Amino acid sequence: MSLLDGAAGHGRETDYEALLVAAQTGNQQAMERLLMRAQEVAYRFSLLVCGHADDADDAMQEALLKTYRFAGQIKEPAAFRTWLYRTVKNACLIGRRRRVHEPAHMVSLDELMVAPDGSVQRMDVKDGGPSPDDIVVNSRLRRTLRRALQQLPPEFRVIVFLREIEGLSTREVATVVGISEANVKTRLHRARLFLRQQLEAP
Amino acid sequence: MTPARSDRCRALLERLSRYVDGDLNGAERRAVTAHLRGCPTCNSMAESLKHTVCLCRDASTTRLPPAVRARAKARVAALLVSQSKTGGRVRATKATAH
Repeated sequence: MSLLDGAAGHGRETDYEALLVAAQTGNQQAMERLLMRAQEVAYRFSLLVCGHADDADDAMQEALLKTYRFAGQIKEPAAFRTWLYRTVKNACLIGRRRRVHEPAHMVSLDELMVAPDGSVQRMDVKDGGPSPDDIVVNSRLRRTLRRALQQLPPEFRVIVFLREIEGLSTREVATVVGISEANVKTRLHRARLFLRQQLEAP
Repeated sequence: MTPARSDRCRALLERLSRYVDGDLNGAERRAVTAHLRGCPTCNSMAESLKHTVCLCRDASTTRLPPAVRARAKARVAALLVSQSKTGGRVRATKATAH
């Protein structure tokens, strides 16, 4: 698989390190992939945490430029991922403050779902994978999850995003958010109980 | 008193996320497992919590929508072209990692 074909998901910290090291040694493909990853993170954060699609482009541009400038000087590639998420968080929150009077809303989580082959998997498309019943159930659950995420206070929502959706470790989440690991675990537990309750509600 | 209201159940609830994450030590994990085997209410809670976590993690299989991806690629291309014209190497800034 080419470096340019990387998919989103959990357990990618080594991918970031490998991409960064390759980019630092002049691998153009690795740099391009790293810059795309940075923008993907900014996009997901904008949509799922801030809930403003209109802010995504600004956050993506910020993540792109800072990643490009930062890539050449980082001496600890293992620290890159937490730096990236912290940079994206700050960029998104700055954009959010500009729109402080507007209500936050969550843009379609369903839009972001993709099949293993990388194609966008919209819930109204039959793709030969899950049965129609499964699709209906999953679609309903995702809508419920999206609504539940919206209802979480921001300080809980960002924890769910970083830990559950982006797959950062508890320690990484603590570093990005600037709280203790114990606090991350407590917030995550409460958020999970809330989400579970919302998903189980009739 | 129902199991869900018992002190043991309440204590378990506080540890359930750590159990689901494999974050408990051996003795704690064995104690929770034993409790879940004997308590349908807590076992049901644990299963639904796992389901919630799985559902959240499904959302991690994401990529950019095509139009957004195209704009992102164009930005990368424009940046790299502009840098190559101006001498090209990644410049150091005040950004720091720890």
